[in-house]
Amino acid sequence: MNVGLSFAVVAENLVKVFGSIRALDGLSFKIKRGEIYGLIGPNGAGKTTALRIISTLILPSSGSAKVYDYDVVSKASEVRRLIAYLPEEAGAYKNLSGEEYLRFMAKFSSENNEVLEETVRNAAVISGLGDRLRDKVKTYSKGMKRRLLVARALMTKPKLAVLDEPTSGLDVLHSVHVREIIKQYVKKHGVAVLLSSHNMLEVEYLCERVALINHGRIVAEGTPEELKLENNVENLEEAFAKVVGLA
Amino acid sequence: MLKGLGNVVVKELKELLRDPKILIGMIVVPLVMLPIMGFVIRGSIESTEERLQSLQVGLVDFDHGIIAKSLTDFLNSFSTMTIINISASNVDEAVEILQKETNATDLIVVPSGFTENVSKGDPENYPVTIEVYSVFTGSGGIAEAAGSSVVSGYLEAFKRRLAPNPFQTVQKSIIKGKPSDVPPGVLFSIMYSQIFALPITISILLVFSMQIAATSVASEKEEKTLETLLSLPISRFTILFGKLAGSTIVAAVGAIAIIIGFNYYMGSFMVMGDMGVSVDLAAIGLAPTPLGYLILGASVFMSLLSALALAIIISAFAEDVRGAQSVVGYLNVIIMLPMFIIMFADFNSLPLAARIVLLAIPYTHPMLAAQATLTGNYLTAVFGVVYVAIFTVALLYIAAKLFATEKILTAKLKFRGLRLRKKKS
Repeated sequence: MNVGLSFAVVAENLVKVFGSIRALDGLSFKIKRGEIYGLIGPNGAGKTTALRIISTLILPSSGSAKVYDYDVVSKASEVRRLIAYLPEEAGAYKNLSGEEYLRFMAKFSSENNEVLEETVRNAAVISGLGDRLRDKVKTYSKGMKRRLLVARALMTKPKLAVLDEPTSGLDVLHSVHVREIIKQYVKKHGVAVLLSSHNMLEVEYLCERVALINHGRIVAEGTPEELKLENNVENLEEAFAKVVGLA
Repeated sequence: MLKGLGNVVVKELKELLRDPKILIGMIVVPLVMLPIMGFVIRGSIESTEERLQSLQVGLVDFDHGIIAKSLTDFLNSFSTMTIINISASNVDEAVEILQKETNATDLIVVPSGFTENVSKGDPENYPVTIEVYSVFTGSGGIAEAAGSSVVSGYLEAFKRRLAPNPFQTVQKSIIKGKPSDVPPGVLFSIMYSQIFALPITISILLVFSMQIAATSVASEKEEKTLETLLSLPISRFTILFGKLAGSTIVAAVGAIAIIIGFNYYMGSFMVMGDMGVSVDLAAIGLAPTPLGYLILGASVFMSLLSALALAIIISAFAEDVRGAQSVVGYLNVIIMLPMFIIMFADFNSLPLAARIVLLAIPYTHPMLAAQATLTGNYLTAVFGVVYVAIFTVALLYIAAKLFATEKILTAKLKFRGLRLRKKKS
């Protein structure tokens, strides 16, 4: 694995066309090792499409993307070994218990029983679900399910975690818990996170660098502070509105 | 009191009739399926009628008397029937000659002493019996046993010319080239029961299994677990074959249950009350052999596998479980059509085009294999297994291709889109 490289992700001129819709229109960005990188944009801006390409789920119409120097198209299976993807509207198998679900997922990346048990224990801590892990997923609240899924994404210590709206649908307390988990995880393991979010507060709190994306293109990029300073605004929401010409 | 009812009804009708699933399921399918069935069954009836118009019947005369000669002449006088005289020393030999050298469907056996005893005019003290053997084809269709009824009708007409009830006629069967005392009516009942039971059970199993497989893919989409699954460090083939294996295990249990159930079902025909005749199917060679069960099992299993692969491919295009089940539901037509036709028509007497179409449908084959287990015509069944296996491999290839691309996530059946595009063009 080329995990020693300085860039976790290099996306160059990504284009994705669905029929008559150009979801991505020349998207380029780089994510350093140990960095939390955020994509911000309105609905339909192309955030999820970009995340799905990086996660090897869909193919770019043109352009390229590499994860730790592995091409997401030609080396998709190598990329899948390095990443964990959390979709925005992800679900879990409702007739499995939380623990069974984590175990099922952990088996794909665990070489032996020892690693498997360690991974599941790790997930139990991340999720903070305690004894409720023994209950079936269908009895979980939306917040509990999301915590289970975040734990699933991080438990295997992926070199790149791709998180689409990680706190989607969560209340304030659950959101704080999940953000803390992500931040600690990156700090502890020195790996990278690519996330998308509508929540500017979340992005400011979590991300070292942010890309503002609109109509499939990056319209501004930098640290949250840089973006605010450049646009002479108080928060990222205003910066975004200004950049796309709404304010 | 019902103010606004009209408005609600109009809205309901628009909603229902604009839903392509309802439109196809409720209106198009019956409009297409029933006429096809009618056409095929009419073809079968016409073919049977034609056959009965040119009936070939063997006659072995052990009497050589004047009344026997008169009977032969009487039967020969009908243009719809050709009498083939067979010279043999006993019934077994006559049956052998009939099967090997003629296409006759029935054999009339005139016993020795026929003329003498009938001449006495005392049937109570000098009973005389003419045996009519019918060749058992095992088709179970409407043509089965029809020939023997026609022959019996002619014999009754001959009796009325002589005297009140001068002799009796007894109907018997020729099963797999051997004479048997079991009347064709009893065999027809067995076939008819079998022909109803097994195709219905196989159809239910196929429909049920397809729903399981369709649900297993569609629920991944509906529950939003598919994206996560596809991003895991496992090959897409592993996911596909995992799904197939899961559904196949369920289906295999179903196939085994069918075979076991069928075995018990056939066992229940040891005694047939229909004509007060005891029938031991094994003794007359009509109980399926272990090889027969094996071929039937293979045929059912292979058809199930193809049905599962087909359901998985189709459900990959659906957005949710309901959509997948609706689309898979349309496929029930190609399962139900062969089932109904084989139940009500004699496959072998169908028009050639209808037979080709039915043979092209993989789900016809386990139903034909079910008939083959009784008649011992295993070659057709084995051909069916091979054909369905090729069909299944092709389907699996398509399914594997589909799983290897992003189409598994992005493919969607869009009836509305199609309609709009048609309007525009």
